[in-house]
Amino acid sequence: MRRLRALRPVEVDERGLELISFCGHCALAPEPARHAPPSRVCGHCGLGIVLQATADLAPRQDEPFLVIDTTLSVCAVSAAAEQLLDIDETQAVNKHVADFLVPADANASGAENLLALLVEVAGGSGELRTTVVRPRQEFGIRFKARIGPCGPPHAALLVLS
Amino acid sequence: MFSMRTLKTSEAAALLNVSPNTLRAWERRFGYPKPQRSAGRHRLYTHGEVAALRDALQQGLSISSAVSRAREALSTDTHTLVGALASFELDRADSAMESALALRSVERSVEEVLLPSLDELGQRYGTDSAPWAFAARWADGWLRRAQRLAPPPVRRLAILVGDATRNELDPDALAVRAFELFCGRSGARIMALPVGGVSGLSDVVECLAPDAVVIAGGHLPDDDVALWAYRVRAAAGPLPMALFRRSHHGAKVRTTGTLILPDTPFGAYRHLLALIDDRQITRVHEVAALSVLDGDLERREAQA
Repeated sequence: MRRLRALRPVEVDERGLELISFCGHCALAPEPARHAPPSRVCGHCGLGIVLQATADLAPRQDEPFLVIDTTLSVCAVSAAAEQLLDIDETQAVNKHVADFLVPADANASGAENLLALLVEVAGGSGELRTTVVRPRQEFGIRFKARIGPCGPPHAALLVLS
Repeated sequence: MFSMRTLKTSEAAALLNVSPNTLRAWERRFGYPKPQRSAGRHRLYTHGEVAALRDALQQGLSISSAVSRAREALSTDTHTLVGALASFELDRADSAMESALALRSVERSVEEVLLPSLDELGQRYGTDSAPWAFAARWADGWLRRAQRLAPPPVRRLAILVGDATRNELDPDALAVRAFELFCGRSGARIMALPVGGVSGLSDVVECLAPDAVVIAGGHLPDDDVALWAYRVRAAAGPLPMALFRRSHHGAKVRTTGTLILPDTPFGAYRHLLALIDDRQITRVHEVAALSVLDGDLERREAQA
């Protein structure tokens, strides 16, 4: 006899890609809401807002990431990114992303490429892209970065790996 | 005039749809929302701060950015007050303070809106300008009005303030008025006298019986201050004496054992009250120790 499995509701974006919810600070998936309306604040750490991104972009718990808006200001820094880049989210918020990360892709023509990509993605129109970045004032360290849209509201998610 | 809605931790947490622990974690990490304390040392959040954060969280990408946005929303009161005073609009200045009071306590409205606005005007126009004179007179009037509306003294505590400022246009004068207001609102009896006048001082001191003396302001020279302090000590005996806004630009002042209070009116007020409370506790312990000794003596005499 065929066993029936319970269906899991999946949220999808306008392209039909599965959306994953994660905390903008600890990256954990939110617990199922017990009360209505569900809180946007992470129930695990209480220090991040629950965001959504496509499954191929969403960070795993140990992956550092930053959230950047259309003005290229840093809006959120994950706990792992705070440790990796030695920055404090409360100090980094509202600062320009180029104060922390610069492009390190030898094939890319310049900084404008990274910034243009972030603006496009933060506007909600871009797709998942990968690039190489390095911390500002640091040489010899390079991170592969996945960049794609997240939200709400619309923003760019830059996941370092 | 001074109505401000406050929320308990559980109420503020419910409004933000988070747990009370999360709210306390935000206080530690972001310093916001910043609660006051009730008489029982419980946290009391101002409704305005919590509401501003709730609105910011709805459109925020992180708690940090929401806090930053909420702080910006609250700082509009300072901009409004500066704008009103710079354009000589008294009604608008009063309204700006009313708005500030809807979101904050009197103490925080003075420290976070009134005094910073006056500082900005002083830096922008100079403290010898007509705009400064206009703004300083308005602020002095506002602080005096607030002091008149303070509840009557309830504590057995009296503070004598020796005013060493030039006049109400002295930049330190507003801080001194604010300090008097905070002390008065805490239920203490306050009397401010100009340091320049010493005749009849002993009568005033005997009548007030101060628990502490504060010499505030840096305009009058040390010799005048020393004479005034000597007369007060001669009339009242040894008392805790403190200096408020007496040193300028890091210059050293002769203190001879007097306490130097922090430069902010609220910090000075808290510091002074702690000093007086410590002194009163010590006095109670001394009295208790003496009564125990008396009891021992009486028992021994009875046994003998």
